[in-house]
Amino acid sequence: MTRKKVKLAFIVNDSARKATFKKRRKGLMKKVSELSTLCGIDACAIIYSPYDSQPEVWPSPLGVQRVLSKFKTMPEMEQSKKMVNQESFLRQRITKASEQLRKQRKENREKEVTQAMFQCLTGKINLANLNMIDLNDLGWMIDRNLKDVEKRVETLNKRSRSSTGGTSHTSQLAAVAATGAGPSNGGQQAPESSQKADVLATTNLGVNVDSMLRQQWFMDMVTPQETAILGFGGDDNMMLPFGDTNHNALFSNPFFPLN
Amino acid sequence: MARKSRGRQKVEMVKMSKESNLQVTFSKRRSGLFKKASELSTLCGAEIAIIVFSPGNRVFSFGHPGVETVIDRYFTRNPPQNSGTMQLIEAHRNATVRELNMQLTQVVNQFEIEKKRGEELSQMRKAQSQCWWEAPVEELTLPQIEQLKVSLEGLKMNVTKQAQKLLIENPGPPQFFASSSSGGIFPYDRKVGGFNPNMVLPQYDYNNPGYRRGFF
Repeated sequence: MTRKKVKLAFIVNDSARKATFKKRRKGLMKKVSELSTLCGIDACAIIYSPYDSQPEVWPSPLGVQRVLSKFKTMPEMEQSKKMVNQESFLRQRITKASEQLRKQRKENREKEVTQAMFQCLTGKINLANLNMIDLNDLGWMIDRNLKDVEKRVETLNKRSRSSTGGTSHTSQLAAVAATGAGPSNGGQQAPESSQKADVLATTNLGVNVDSMLRQQWFMDMVTPQETAILGFGGDDNMMLPFGDTNHNALFSNPFFPLN
Repeated sequence: MARKSRGRQKVEMVKMSKESNLQVTFSKRRSGLFKKASELSTLCGAEIAIIVFSPGNRVFSFGHPGVETVIDRYFTRNPPQNSGTMQLIEAHRNATVRELNMQLTQVVNQFEIEKKRGEELSQMRKAQSQCWWEAPVEELTLPQIEQLKVSLEGLKMNVTKQAQKLLIENPGPPQFFASSSSGGIFPYDRKVGGFNPNMVLPQYDYNNPGYRRGFF
């Protein structure tokens, strides 16, 4: 088995071509035989070499005769339905390969845009550097993620609603933002029926001011004040700096675990 | 693909027992067989005919230059006609096949490149995924989700704003496609480059400035 990739073109070198022909003809015969045995089907192969007027055949001249007769007795339409030559066969392969390529590109683009979205959240990406297409794709990806998020929020809220009788977490968040400080939710948070409840309670009880402040910054983000904070207009830098205590970063420390 | 294929494993040369596997095997192997036959004729200029019957008694055939041609040659035991016309036809056909082979090679190569790129992207994602918000939504707690939601909404607003800003500064379609050729400078890490220039550019829809489905 060669390690080199073989170019799909007529082999000009005579000796190389002859050697390749012998090897590949042998391999082809083997493959036909395997197919016939493994699947219990009738098959035949006829191969003319450029060096011989007599062809090599499989399984045998008699076997070939039999299969050819069986072939010829089939209705004309059936014979030609799945008949291909080089041209038609290559066109089919090109179509399939193109489709594979398209799918892979789409998959890659989704991965790329998703990564970019997360990097935007940590301020690694300056939106001003993106072109229209990137921006549109980014917007689309954000929407898709928001849909998932909202679905999840609904599920969780339903759960908490059914077990706690009405205390929604969103209102707690709003309360926090309004007051701006102080961990005080521990008492209000009724334990959820799921295992996450313990984590939730611990989080709220153990949450520190830093995290509360950060939450307030998020609230600031979506209020009209944001223009001032983010500095739109002019040659402003829309970059949300990463790694400093700048209020603009959505997550100034991406590795700060919330729980 | 959930289940690993049996490639690189030895298969016993007896008729397969499971009917479902048999059909799949037939499909795959028949396809591979024709591919090998096609390569043999391309590489060595051999004339070939292969006929196989499917388990369902449908018949598949491959032939170069054609199934019927080769069968006739086989039956009549005559050397192939070599008239001037025939040679011309054959030359033309070979030229077409040559082009198709080149085209196929090109597409396959591009696919290999994209596949590699996909693996690199996955690797990158794995390396970066220590951040809790990148985990699937199902794994996040409610406060985390709420925080993520707010952040995403904020980001969306920024994106829309920036998009509108671009629209105002650059009216007219040519601008967008021109800028894309320089590549969207997507991630902070330049390694995962921007745009693949071979990609078919989706139409920009003026009616939905912030919302185009784009490539998806």
